[in-house]
Amino acid sequence: MELYAALQVIWWLLLGVLLSGLAVMVGMDMGVGTILRYVGRSDLERRVALNIIGPHWDGNQVWFILGGGAVFAAFPLIYATAFSGFYVVMLLLLWTMILRPLGFEYRSKIDSPVWRNAWDWALLVSGAVPMVVFGAAFGNLFHGVPFHFEWNLTSVYTGSFLGLLNPFAILCGLLALALSVMMGALTVMNGAEGVMQQRARTLLQVAAAAAVVLFAIGGVWLHAIPGYSMVSGPGAGVPQTPLQQVVEVMPGAWQANFAAQPVLWLLPLAGFAGMLGALFAGRAGRSYLGWWLGALAWIGVIGSAGAALFPFLLPSSSDPSVSLTLWNASSSRLTLSWMLVMALVFVPLILWYTSWAFWVMRGKVRPETIAHDEHAY
Amino acid sequence: MIDGTVVDLSRTQFAATALYHYLFVPLTLGLSFLLAAMETVYVTTGKPIYKQMAQFWGKLFMINFALGVATGLTMEFQFGTNWSFYSSFVGDIFGAPLAIEGLMAFFMESTFVGLMVFGWERLSKGQHLAVTWLVALGSNLSALWILIANSFMQDPRGAAFDPTTLRMQLTSFQQLIFSPDAQSKFVHTSIAGYVTAAVFVAGISAWYMLKRRHMDLAKRSFRMAALFGVLATIGVITLGDALGFVAAQAQPTKLAAMEGLWKSEPAPMPFNLIAFPDQSLQKNAGAVQVPYLLSLLVTHSLDGTVAGIDALERQAAQKVENGIPAVQALQVLSKNPKDAAALAQFKAHEQDLGYGFLVQRYAPDLQHVTPQQVQQAARDSIPPVAAVFWSFRLMVGFGLLMLAYFVLAVIYTLRNRVQDQRWFLRAAVWMIPVPFLANETGWLVAELGRQPWTVYGVLPTWMSASTHSVGYMAFSLIGFVTLYSAFIVVEMFLMLRAIRHGPDGPGQHPPYTQQRPALAPRPVPAAAHDTHLEG
Amino acid sequence: MKTFAYFLLFLVLAFVVILLAALLGDEGAWYFAWLVGTAMIVLIAAAGAALLDTQEDQAAQAHAAGERAVP
Repeated sequence: MELYAALQVIWWLLLGVLLSGLAVMVGMDMGVGTILRYVGRSDLERRVALNIIGPHWDGNQVWFILGGGAVFAAFPLIYATAFSGFYVVMLLLLWTMILRPLGFEYRSKIDSPVWRNAWDWALLVSGAVPMVVFGAAFGNLFHGVPFHFEWNLTSVYTGSFLGLLNPFAILCGLLALALSVMMGALTVMNGAEGVMQQRARTLLQVAAAAAVVLFAIGGVWLHAIPGYSMVSGPGAGVPQTPLQQVVEVMPGAWQANFAAQPVLWLLPLAGFAGMLGALFAGRAGRSYLGWWLGALAWIGVIGSAGAALFPFLLPSSSDPSVSLTLWNASSSRLTLSWMLVMALVFVPLILWYTSWAFWVMRGKVRPETIAHDEHAY
Repeated sequence: MIDGTVVDLSRTQFAATALYHYLFVPLTLGLSFLLAAMETVYVTTGKPIYKQMAQFWGKLFMINFALGVATGLTMEFQFGTNWSFYSSFVGDIFGAPLAIEGLMAFFMESTFVGLMVFGWERLSKGQHLAVTWLVALGSNLSALWILIANSFMQDPRGAAFDPTTLRMQLTSFQQLIFSPDAQSKFVHTSIAGYVTAAVFVAGISAWYMLKRRHMDLAKRSFRMAALFGVLATIGVITLGDALGFVAAQAQPTKLAAMEGLWKSEPAPMPFNLIAFPDQSLQKNAGAVQVPYLLSLLVTHSLDGTVAGIDALERQAAQKVENGIPAVQALQVLSKNPKDAAALAQFKAHEQDLGYGFLVQRYAPDLQHVTPQQVQQAARDSIPPVAAVFWSFRLMVGFGLLMLAYFVLAVIYTLRNRVQDQRWFLRAAVWMIPVPFLANETGWLVAELGRQPWTVYGVLPTWMSASTHSVGYMAFSLIGFVTLYSAFIVVEMFLMLRAIRHGPDGPGQHPPYTQQRPALAPRPVPAAAHDTHLEG
Repeated sequence: MKTFAYFLLFLVLAFVVILLAALLGDEGAWYFAWLVGTAMIVLIAAAGAALLDTQEDQAAQAHAAGERAVP
């Protein structure tokens, strides 16, 4: 059974990798959408901003699709319980996210100020709302979510939509929004010149500073939120259902992993270092370096959340003992093995051709080229 | 126990969003390969007209593609949001192909589609051609993995129920991906996409020829579409037959519903060409029959038979009786996974577990199951016959119509005479909706014919849905209908506009001029603009 | 050198096809049929377009020859 436990941990780590990929790649595109109306004052400027991510947003968005698919394949019980429980939130996410492909593709097709302005607002909504929803969903994990199971593992969610919008969740949502705006601003700095770059630089500083403050408040606030602690259960690498364990709600439990393994403090540290590094690098005009440091910030933030929650994935506030962990929510050994083989083959391939696509489209996007390029957005 | 109204609303929402998504997908599957064909001719012959063709049809491709991507987002998450029990019960098997679809196919398609649109100036001819081919391959590989997942719902292979984890688990990845249903359904669906694109391109080219516009582009596009279409249509019909053969083995109730076969009959069985199935009376109110044909079609021999609905219902009743002890054993195992007696009881009745679930709809605790309730469950095991029967006949009718159309199109275009056949050109324009209707009816046959199961014989639809309230479901359904209706209006508007402007029209995204008033009518290029060999 | 590079490329492609056929032949015959069939459909459509170019050229030549013959 050792192999099964190892696979479960590997998939938990891979889930972190996929979530980081999603946050960095989709977050940057959404950030550009959010700040589009600010960095671009004229239509041509907005088209410059859109064309910086134009060739890549579609590929980047697959991180989101893959995130959904990987949770389904590796942790089906999470996919089933979380997405049905967060129903209205998921609808909010989907309904705003499906505006985005249309916004990119259809906005510049018609030469009308009303039309283009409407799509610019749509891109703002479809950039900002999903990021807040992502962050808020993560924030709710720390409070636990009210759900329980029937005897055959039919999950029943007993909370309300408004319950998901508690203050701590909103704080996490704003943190995600700040990080995505930071990455969006750095992306615009990478691809644009002159006054747009200056506007993006201003935004970057505001967003990075906000992210530092929000992350710090979140870290302190977490001490006041009682955590979940596994009292007994079948444990790692044993096929099981969530019906066979005992979990208690305990103050300070979210800090237990950090107390036991002080090396984990490197994760929040990386988060802060990334945010501050992105701020100063961008300020100094080194936006490419800033972008990579921003990616580090995301990894630090997501890693900190994962390390605090481990081994929990979705705690239940109404029946803590059925809380979902990576031990009781994961797929079978065979599925995890096959998925690992697939991930080992295809993730490097994806990284390779994505880098190639960015390399092909490298360089600044200039207004005069867009005006004459009939393929540009 | 889930409210029946919630299940019905969840089904309506899934069907609506899937059918809508499926308006855009087949065109992507086929048009991507047609684009690759056009660009291949461009790269090998160096004639600029083929570059213009690839770019013009590429423009229409992208308008369609955007909505396909957007509505695909909903599909990836809807299993979790609305089919929660389904997702946890079979996620161990069903989730894997969806994740592999992202890893292997969708990443490839989406990354390279950006380069396909933006890379004309930055890539060499050969590189751009490779990118276009990869987009086509990626979109069709996407379809492959989605249909592998779907085929598990039709004919669950490579999986077994695990009483410890209370769910289905993968036992053989190879059996899952090489399932006969997955193979024939993938080829059938992918090639149906080619047919869709061929009818689309041929129809629009015909419209240009009617208007005497862009004759060079229209004649060449029509020629390519006609050849592409005729071969693809032959393939679709061949694979449709293979799929029927597979269904006869794996899903006898679907086959019986498709053929309106209420009573088992001796060989050779007649084929119901037209019939009016009545579910409550369990017979056809009138039928036009062709003798011998059903045995020939379904078993490929004159002395083969298939079971009628009467026999299938009797079998189902037995399976329900046998499945009840399996569910009862599971109820014990849920509390104590180590209970040896319950495990033995489960093992003895395991193969009919799904039928035990089927009767739970009427007898939730399974303590006192009456013979009437068993009968009710057995009757439930038959899909809605009239809907499946007629969807199937419409789909086949559309398919044969398109075959006739393409054969004629090939004859005319090979003689280089199609531009003079004005009646045929007009008909070609009217053919454009036909493949879309065929695709939608095909989906209905496959998925309505699977009822009452989400996973055939294993998991009933009634217990698969999430435990939402009716209010939530009404809210989300109204939301989807409103948003999607608005989207299709915008999409159709942009598509028709791009077609009207044609390849000589303004660029894909015209520059913005403040001076011009909003939505001013732009001059439509004159009909004589046929000299565009400079690209 | 360029010819040799193409020779190697097509040789590799041929081996990939043989390998796929061997692997898919037993278990996934329809998958293999799809690969071969798709390539065939695309190439026939492409060849049809090339044929149209030839037909148009011939028609134009015949037309030009006819005009020259008149005076």
